[in-house]
Amino acid sequence: MGFLDPVKLLYALSLAALVAIYLRSRSRPTIEVSSLMLFEEVAAPIAKSRVLRLDLMFWLEAAALAALTLTLGGLYMRRGVPVSTAREHALIFDLGAGMGAVGESGQSRLAAAQQAADALVAAAPAGTHFSVIGYALEAATTRPSSARPDEVRAAIGALAPAAVATRPAALRAALLRARGAGAVTLYADRPPPAGLIGEAGLAAAVDFHQVGAPAANLAIVSIDPGVPHSTVGRAVVRNFSPRPEPCELVIEAGGREVFHSTLIVEPRAAIVVPFGPLMAGGLVHARIVTPDALAADNQRWALAPSIAQARALVLSPDAAARDDLARIVLAINPNYLVTAGDPAQPKTFNRAIHYDLAVLHDCSVEGIDAAARLLIFPEPHLLTSRLPQLLPVTGSVAVAEMQERAGAGTLGAPVLLGPARIVDLPGWMTATARGAGIGDHDSFALAANGRMADGAVGLIAFDVRNHLLLDPDRMDALVAVVDTLKQIVAPPGLRIVATGTLVSVPAFASARITAPDGATRVALPDQWGRVQLRPLEAGRYLIATAAGDVTVMANYFDAGESDLSAPADAAQTAAVPANPAVLNTLSVQPVAIPLIALALLALLIESIVLARRAARWGVSHV
Amino acid sequence: MLATRAFEPDFLRQLDGLMLGTRRTRSQRAGRRTIGRAQGGGIEPENFRAYTAGDDLRFLDWNALARHDQLTIRTFRADRQIEITVMVDASASMAIPGDDDKLGLALLLGAGLAYIGMSETDPVRLAAFAARRGGTHLATTPFRRRRESYVDFRPFVTGLECGGETRLTAAVGELLKERRTPGITIVLSDFLVSPGDYEDALGRLLAAHHEVKIVHVMGDRESTGDYPAGVYRVRDCETGELRDVSFGPRESAACQARAAAHSAALSAFCGRRGIMYATAFGASHLDEIMKREFPRLGVIA
Repeated sequence: MGFLDPVKLLYALSLAALVAIYLRSRSRPTIEVSSLMLFEEVAAPIAKSRVLRLDLMFWLEAAALAALTLTLGGLYMRRGVPVSTAREHALIFDLGAGMGAVGESGQSRLAAAQQAADALVAAAPAGTHFSVIGYALEAATTRPSSARPDEVRAAIGALAPAAVATRPAALRAALLRARGAGAVTLYADRPPPAGLIGEAGLAAAVDFHQVGAPAANLAIVSIDPGVPHSTVGRAVVRNFSPRPEPCELVIEAGGREVFHSTLIVEPRAAIVVPFGPLMAGGLVHARIVTPDALAADNQRWALAPSIAQARALVLSPDAAARDDLARIVLAINPNYLVTAGDPAQPKTFNRAIHYDLAVLHDCSVEGIDAAARLLIFPEPHLLTSRLPQLLPVTGSVAVAEMQERAGAGTLGAPVLLGPARIVDLPGWMTATARGAGIGDHDSFALAANGRMADGAVGLIAFDVRNHLLLDPDRMDALVAVVDTLKQIVAPPGLRIVATGTLVSVPAFASARITAPDGATRVALPDQWGRVQLRPLEAGRYLIATAAGDVTVMANYFDAGESDLSAPADAAQTAAVPANPAVLNTLSVQPVAIPLIALALLALLIESIVLARRAARWGVSHV
Repeated sequence: MLATRAFEPDFLRQLDGLMLGTRRTRSQRAGRRTIGRAQGGGIEPENFRAYTAGDDLRFLDWNALARHDQLTIRTFRADRQIEITVMVDASASMAIPGDDDKLGLALLLGAGLAYIGMSETDPVRLAAFAARRGGTHLATTPFRRRRESYVDFRPFVTGLECGGETRLTAAVGELLKERRTPGITIVLSDFLVSPGDYEDALGRLLAAHHEVKIVHVMGDRESTGDYPAGVYRVRDCETGELRDVSFGPRESAACQARAAAHSAALSAFCGRRGIMYATAFGASHLDEIMKREFPRLGVIA
């Protein structure tokens, strides 16, 4: 019943509005005249004294509105239109990391889905159009609607899993692309979030195929290389299986094996494996040699800090902020020789020395020679400034809140920060944290980093006074600062990122990108001279540019996607009903015609009556 | 507002050569009841009469005394002037219909007549009447004699607002309470009252020896019955009385006939009582009104 839907009930209120208009018209418009004496000869209307006047116009309009309301409300006889007769069929594939899991049969979950889809295409009546849509980080239509089975099968066969977690937004986008299809089949290794299919407003029910059997999987959750010659490193390994699993873990640093052991990991538990301390800084590679269902999370890279002594300069007008920042710099690399100074007292630091890192808080000291610079709460451009600003400050907010951060996505609860500067971020910088002022809707960058010709530049737009970075309730602020520092002090030829992260590499000409599977492609730089890459496979990417090679190590781990012990059986099939309101809308046209015709007839008669009245009164309008 | 035109040079220039005729002579025997006690203040000789005790010796005709040895007093025509009161109806009906600006038209004509009246340096004043808050309110300006002081009427003319009922009889009663010398009273109104009301009011003015002239002001719409067609309700702006009407061409003609009948009845009454009657139907006919209707009020070039 359509009017059980509150939205449809609103349509019925139009009848109440008509009654209100009728009553209002019964009260009649009143015209003020100089004297009723002049109207003594004018006859009063015949129906003046009747309480309920049978107004033809009212009943005609009521009939028209009622017919239209019933049409919109869905109170009409439905003609059964079988959905299966539709000739458009959408095949949607989950391309998340979990679909790359290999079962005991040696077949991946995606391969099982492809096999099932091929069978569906083969069994479909001739002339059925298929479209192939994949989704992981985002949705992509691999094959638009086609009636040729060979093309469809080729598109299905070309699908490949990505080492990223599937985003619900990507599934929603994929369902939207299938909105016009008469039949939708979804292949995934886990059920979609509740209500998501209903929200998509599909015209047809979704035929959901869950592929893949539960499988054992081990994953390297994280790796901390520690400080060479100082502290031990730690690797965290997690077992997603309901059974104890052996895990042969190998850790290499500088091309040399520093740890190799076989461990037994408890069911659905994580263990911390210590190693080291390392003897030198550099790239650390951990991998699980034991074969399991998912290979993408079996290796991980980290960068151990260099053992060479380096100089860092921390300048801040606030002594407490200087102290906090110096501690953080030392926590990243204990080999830093940190000089902390007040920018108002130039004698406290030496400008002539080359620094490996300069952290400038709420100041813009010019002429400091540093390989990497982190500008925290940069001061606005002053009329007395001699040089143009590196990062132009366009405004300030009194209280900012961090809403999203790279690596964490959109934060569950915004992190309240102090005052912040709004910086017009140059194109060569990439924002890694964003936020907005309290009560404001325009977001701006709170953390960013990038590389110029004379070194790396980082930005922290919020103020770090009052021990903000040591506040446990605002840990995301500390993480943003640490991440930014790590990014700018990292070797320029090496990046360690999570899969799915956008990586920008300076390249002023075309660059050749070699993926972990050996595939190569040529990328052109954008207007800022950057080549951008979003690694979708775990492993080593090599970007060869004219300025030199850049190695990108892509780590993958997602607790939800790596958990392959799904309770459902393999190849489970279920039909998820689509939004019934949409079904109503689609089947309205043939049956609602009599009601619409009634409405039109009523409006036509009303027009005739109005025209007759106009003729009787001798006016050109009513 | 139309009334502001009353002070425009072009409008006044049209009135410069006009004067307001009167049936009453401007000179009258001064101190008729006190013969010998007062003399006319004029310079134009009128007559001679025998001296009586108490007469002013300044008017003794010394030549006649020397020639005839008789005490003779010379009399002169008195330089008396006629007070002109221009009464403008400011009741609520004068603001309806709003497009017609009846009040503006009445004020423009009234001010014009006042300007004409000043041509003989007669004392002229403007008055507005309407019944408000239970009592009749008659607002008057001071008398002005010279045309140089005509602009003193401007605040009164431009600041007048409509409201209240038309209580013509009560307004006339208030005017007569001042007990001033009878003069010329010009009434400008739509006279949308019962015939008994205006007959009583005008009769009282005549009984008080006033020379009465009236200008019947009506709007274009109400004089032609040009109301919108349809079924609606009309409300009397003064009494608040309501009436349902179904208006069409026939009803429009009926309204026009009723307005014409009302005007004819008023005109007939004025004819019977010797009251000068002029019509001013519609501000759009202002020039025609001044050319055709002003002479009916005794305005002469």
